[in-house]
Amino acid sequence: MMRTQRPGRVELLTAIGLVLVPLILPYLGSAPNTVNRILVWGLFGIGFDILFGYTGLLSFGQSALYGTGGFVAAYLLTRAGFPYVWLALIIGMVAAAVVGYLVGLIALRRTGIYFAMITVAIAEVFYFVEFNPLSEWTGGENGLPGVPTPSLYLGFTTIHFTSGWSLYPFLAACYFIGIVVALRIVRSPVGAIFRAIRENPLRAAAVGHNIHAYKLAAFVIAAAYAGLAGGLLGVLQAFMPPEAFTFDTSGQLVIQTAIGGRGTLFGPLLGAAVWLFLQDFLQATLGLGAAWKLVLGLVFVLLVVFLRHGIIGGFVDLYRFVKRRKAPVEPREAAPSPGVADEQAAHAVAAKTAHAQPARTLHHAASDYTGPILQATGLTKHYGGVIANADIDFTVNAGELRGIIGPNGAGKSTFFKMLTCEVPPTSGKIVFEGRDITGMSVTDVCQLGLTKSYQVNQLFNRLTVRENVVIAALAELRGKFKLDMLGSVASIPGLDEQVSSTLALVNLTRRRDTPVSELAYGEKRRLEVGLALASSPALLLLDEPLAGMSPVERGETVKLLKSIAQGRTMIIIDHDMDALFELAERVTVLQEGRVLVEGTPDEIKRNAKVQEAYLGGVHGVIDVDEALA
Amino acid sequence: MISWSNFVSQLFNGLALGALLALISSGLTIIYGTLGVLNLAHGAMFMLGGYAGYVAYEASGSFIVAVIAGTLFLGIVGVLMERVVIRHFYSRPHEDQLLVTFGLAIVYVEGVRFIFSSLSKTVPPPPLFTGITSLGFMVYPTYRLAVVGIVAVALLALFLVLYRTRLGMIVRAGIEDSVMVDSLGINVDRVFMVVFGIGAMAAGFAGIVNAPVVSLTPDVGEAILVQTFVVVVIGGVGSFTGAVLGGLIAGEIISITSMFNPGYAYVMLFAAMTLVLLVRPQGLLGTRGRE
Amino acid sequence: MRDRNSNSNNSGRREFMRTGLAVAGGLALPAGFASRVLAADQPPIGTWPAGSQGDSVFIGIAVPRTGTYAVQGEDELKGYELAVEHINEGHPLIKAISPKTKKGVLGKTVKYGVADSAAKPNDAVQAQQRFITENKAILLTGSTSSAVAVALNKLAQREKVLYVAGISGSNDTTGKDCVRYGFRQNFYGETAANALGPVLLKAFGKNKKAAFMTPDYTYGHTVTKSMNDFLTKNGGWTMVTNQVSPLGAPDYSSYLTNIANSGAEFLINVNWGHDAVLSTQQAKQFGILPKMKLVIPYQIPFLAPEVGPDVTEGVYAATDFWWTLEDKYPLAKMFVEAFQKKYNYRPEWGAENAYMEFALWAEAVEHAGTFYPPDVIKSYESPRKLNSMVGEVEWRAADHQLIRPVIIVRGKKPGDMKNKEDFWEVTEIVPGAGVMQKPDAFGCNLGAYT
Repeated sequence: MMRTQRPGRVELLTAIGLVLVPLILPYLGSAPNTVNRILVWGLFGIGFDILFGYTGLLSFGQSALYGTGGFVAAYLLTRAGFPYVWLALIIGMVAAAVVGYLVGLIALRRTGIYFAMITVAIAEVFYFVEFNPLSEWTGGENGLPGVPTPSLYLGFTTIHFTSGWSLYPFLAACYFIGIVVALRIVRSPVGAIFRAIRENPLRAAAVGHNIHAYKLAAFVIAAAYAGLAGGLLGVLQAFMPPEAFTFDTSGQLVIQTAIGGRGTLFGPLLGAAVWLFLQDFLQATLGLGAAWKLVLGLVFVLLVVFLRHGIIGGFVDLYRFVKRRKAPVEPREAAPSPGVADEQAAHAVAAKTAHAQPARTLHHAASDYTGPILQATGLTKHYGGVIANADIDFTVNAGELRGIIGPNGAGKSTFFKMLTCEVPPTSGKIVFEGRDITGMSVTDVCQLGLTKSYQVNQLFNRLTVRENVVIAALAELRGKFKLDMLGSVASIPGLDEQVSSTLALVNLTRRRDTPVSELAYGEKRRLEVGLALASSPALLLLDEPLAGMSPVERGETVKLLKSIAQGRTMIIIDHDMDALFELAERVTVLQEGRVLVEGTPDEIKRNAKVQEAYLGGVHGVIDVDEALA
Repeated sequence: MISWSNFVSQLFNGLALGALLALISSGLTIIYGTLGVLNLAHGAMFMLGGYAGYVAYEASGSFIVAVIAGTLFLGIVGVLMERVVIRHFYSRPHEDQLLVTFGLAIVYVEGVRFIFSSLSKTVPPPPLFTGITSLGFMVYPTYRLAVVGIVAVALLALFLVLYRTRLGMIVRAGIEDSVMVDSLGINVDRVFMVVFGIGAMAAGFAGIVNAPVVSLTPDVGEAILVQTFVVVVIGGVGSFTGAVLGGLIAGEIISITSMFNPGYAYVMLFAAMTLVLLVRPQGLLGTRGRE
Repeated sequence: MRDRNSNSNNSGRREFMRTGLAVAGGLALPAGFASRVLAADQPPIGTWPAGSQGDSVFIGIAVPRTGTYAVQGEDELKGYELAVEHINEGHPLIKAISPKTKKGVLGKTVKYGVADSAAKPNDAVQAQQRFITENKAILLTGSTSSAVAVALNKLAQREKVLYVAGISGSNDTTGKDCVRYGFRQNFYGETAANALGPVLLKAFGKNKKAAFMTPDYTYGHTVTKSMNDFLTKNGGWTMVTNQVSPLGAPDYSSYLTNIANSGAEFLINVNWGHDAVLSTQQAKQFGILPKMKLVIPYQIPFLAPEVGPDVTEGVYAATDFWWTLEDKYPLAKMFVEAFQKKYNYRPEWGAENAYMEFALWAEAVEHAGTFYPPDVIKSYESPRKLNSMVGEVEWRAADHQLIRPVIIVRGKKPGDMKNKEDFWEVTEIVPGAGVMQKPDAFGCNLGAYT
């Protein structure tokens, strides 16, 4: 959820909270060292939450970076005799970020469970290396003892942060800075893209974002936070333990984030507080002895089962539940039913969309090119022994509205996937505006001005309609990768305009703040098209845009498609031939992976080969108009 | 020191180790392949099988009773776990599944520690297999040789169930596409329950069979779990034969590396896993697209 | 944390009030009557004077209650608990070691809290920090892993609270990682090697081949090195292989196969805790034992009952204490009897070590007459003979290591065991002074007093 309300409110509340803690908690019996530890875990967790909660990458290997940052800082301060604690911590953080970058290059080549497993393996390797080959530097099993605490030289006096409550202000300040930076990151365009990657990485790439680079950025951010937290652990304990590198540490981080609530930035802090508090409480107050871990395990399982989004999520759900009971229900767009009234409504809609013009100039691969906008030659795709497309030659001129039809299994979707470079062709060449795009990535091709709307909706489900379009627009305005982590989404020039005009084009302005999960099917299809439009493509492919629609919805969509065709080239696949013949100037027919015939809609209707392909054999030419009359 | 007899001995060691890993991993892989749940409690279930067998052994004095008890107990645990907890997590994101099985693993381990304390328990091998066998160039504990045989039989049984029975066919279909199986009118719910039970039993059986080899402590499952992951990744998720192959390969990697520098054995295993993940992510015998 | 006191909140506030009243009261008294606690040259340090103002003092204990060393940790804990009980009631055994003790320490009751360290330095440090800030602990203890001992050494020095080690076998604890505020009474790698070495040479002769099994951390490496150095220099033994295994390895078959093929005659197993149990059991399964002779340079409590006396038969080990010493030392007899009465089994050396650490601490404090840490430290460091369960001992001021004998034991034949705990026979009691390294040999640099 993007919180675009009063900026600074969260930061202010955090600051107040941090200041109040040492005034209130001692009376509740909290040990200062426990509070300090919670802060360190919380800081460690901020970075992890950005990686996991916001970008959706579950890593069990953060301990490797925590340990790296911690040991680099501790080594500088102990064995190397470096005098400045602050500087050592920063160096540790940078070292962890660099290592994180290298680790990310390997780990991020895979996704999901495999990614998680690689991170486990890397964590174990780091632990081993710390223990054994590098034990000269890391102290091996013993760790590095004797880490000093920081001091702040203020000219007229020096403040020594030692331990307990004395160290608290230093840690609280670090945490506060960490939160402020993290809040900026998640509110920035980069943060929005992180969320998009979590929701639908396929689409995020297809709308023009270099998701691999963004994932790597998230990984490095998490590594930096981990490294700083590791250094602070050493300071807190006056000792840098090898346990920092264990799988247990990574596991505890994941557990705490899950308990507190992922995707909230504060979840890890809350989770750490619950976990550490319970640990102390169960051992100390209840005197459970060795059984404390059993109880803790049970509590954890119960929390995971019943609180899906962690404790913070539980509160948010409660709040929403209470709010919803008070507020009136938002009117939904009425489901279309047959009747004259709807005809008139559809006309009204069409009239509105006809006036909305694309506000921005379209993207072109080469703006001064005059030949056909797209030229595919000899395009072939084999999947093992199956030939999906064979030797297709296909040319479209600029400004054309081309239709593609064919019986099932003709290879239409595969053909589209090759055009957008989602799958590489087995052989053949694709030239877009005079530029050979064969073998490029779907992201680059989108940036050049060629994009597609999907047959099965590929939306960012937990985001609102507006946020969905923003993601696409961000790629269009910022290019495929830009690390403006500290900027804000609102300040991107032209973004609002682009988003508003796109929403108007697909008639979703009224629903801009509705989450996708609450939209009707027709609205989702319109958003699907909207996402593709937001990239301002010069060539727009539409894969079965009318699939699953009622007759009225179809009529609306056809009018929509006509309106957006102005000034751009479109290729549409569909099975609804009435609609397609109405829209398209030329139609290509595919059958069994090859081009069967190409021509105007009329020519196609009368073509014997096409009739045979669909009907499986005819005697003589059927007069279609006569047949349908 | 690399002598010929050392090399062969280690190859053999790897076989024994690998056989065990193969059995445990096959349980994990069919659970993950069918249900899509990566059961982080699998190592703990291995440990539970050992303890259940121990209790049965103390009560009956018979190793066979112990093995049966250990396996059946885990069958029950597996089914209960699936019915009571896991079932509610199929529609939840992957991470939640990992978390809940992780939590259950802690509960099992600590529960056992609470009941049995941390002092290690031993289950002696059956009288038929005690002592050492001379293989000419080396001596080898008889029971470990027997383990290879026992595990081979168990794997064969599992293979027969999966590839020669109707249930097994459904399970394999479910691994390919559980949605499709559901649409075909087969009660996928029950299939899932059975699969979890079978996977759990494989782990439990391995646990009690392994008990005479390593002594039982509550923590014995932890290291096994990580090695099992590696095997599943190398062999290919959802592939039974992959788990067997992966297990043998993993066992050999550990043993052969130990010949040169034992300290690096587990690191080599992880390096191998990372290599497989980068070069052939579906594993040696897995199918692409199961990521 | 079993706090015998009531809620820690109340104790905190009560402490505060007491301190306040004490300060007010003290200021009102003329200088001559003011207790040493408030002398101008003794500003507050660590948890002094706050921790000893009341009628009780607090000790923080961190032992592993879960994890690889849990069994040894529980045993240690029993030793601590027995010691506290005896100190509080003024038991004759304590009085024999600490003659000035009447009841408690300087008249104050000893209370304590226990936390689970799981043999992890991190957890131990965390728990002890809590004990210091919450309970004003004036003494810290507990370790089974030398990593914990070293970490707590450093914590003690930083916080200016005394620390007495639990089980710690690494040379580093009173070597390169020694601190002014830390003390260790038990034997360690160097003394074990130097005491056991001659025994092995005498029993088995020279020029033998030995295979070592070493756990992969500094304890393992230092003990292996000490043993190997002694045997090679003095007896021409050869280390034919050194199998280094990670802590908690589940299976030793790879290592044991290497050893089986190495041509060794002796298996010197430096593994500890459960690792020792498992590696030894598997060595037997592989036929390596009893073909090779097993040697245990640093004995593990409960090893014998876990692997069985048929395995430990004839095995030489170096240890801190074995209960049959009761026949030789009256204090040992008192200890074993008291322990057995309370816990129904005879103590292992972890319990003995724990008891001795507390008893010696009580003695040092009584001797100093104050809880003021620098004075207590100086009391430890002042040369004098002390009583112990293994005869006369003495602290070495230069590195805070107790000069005490190393006990060499040999495993008994199962048939010779007179009761179910009669696993070992004490063959030699090697005086400490002769087997210790020079004080500065391992780079010990005690820190400041304040």
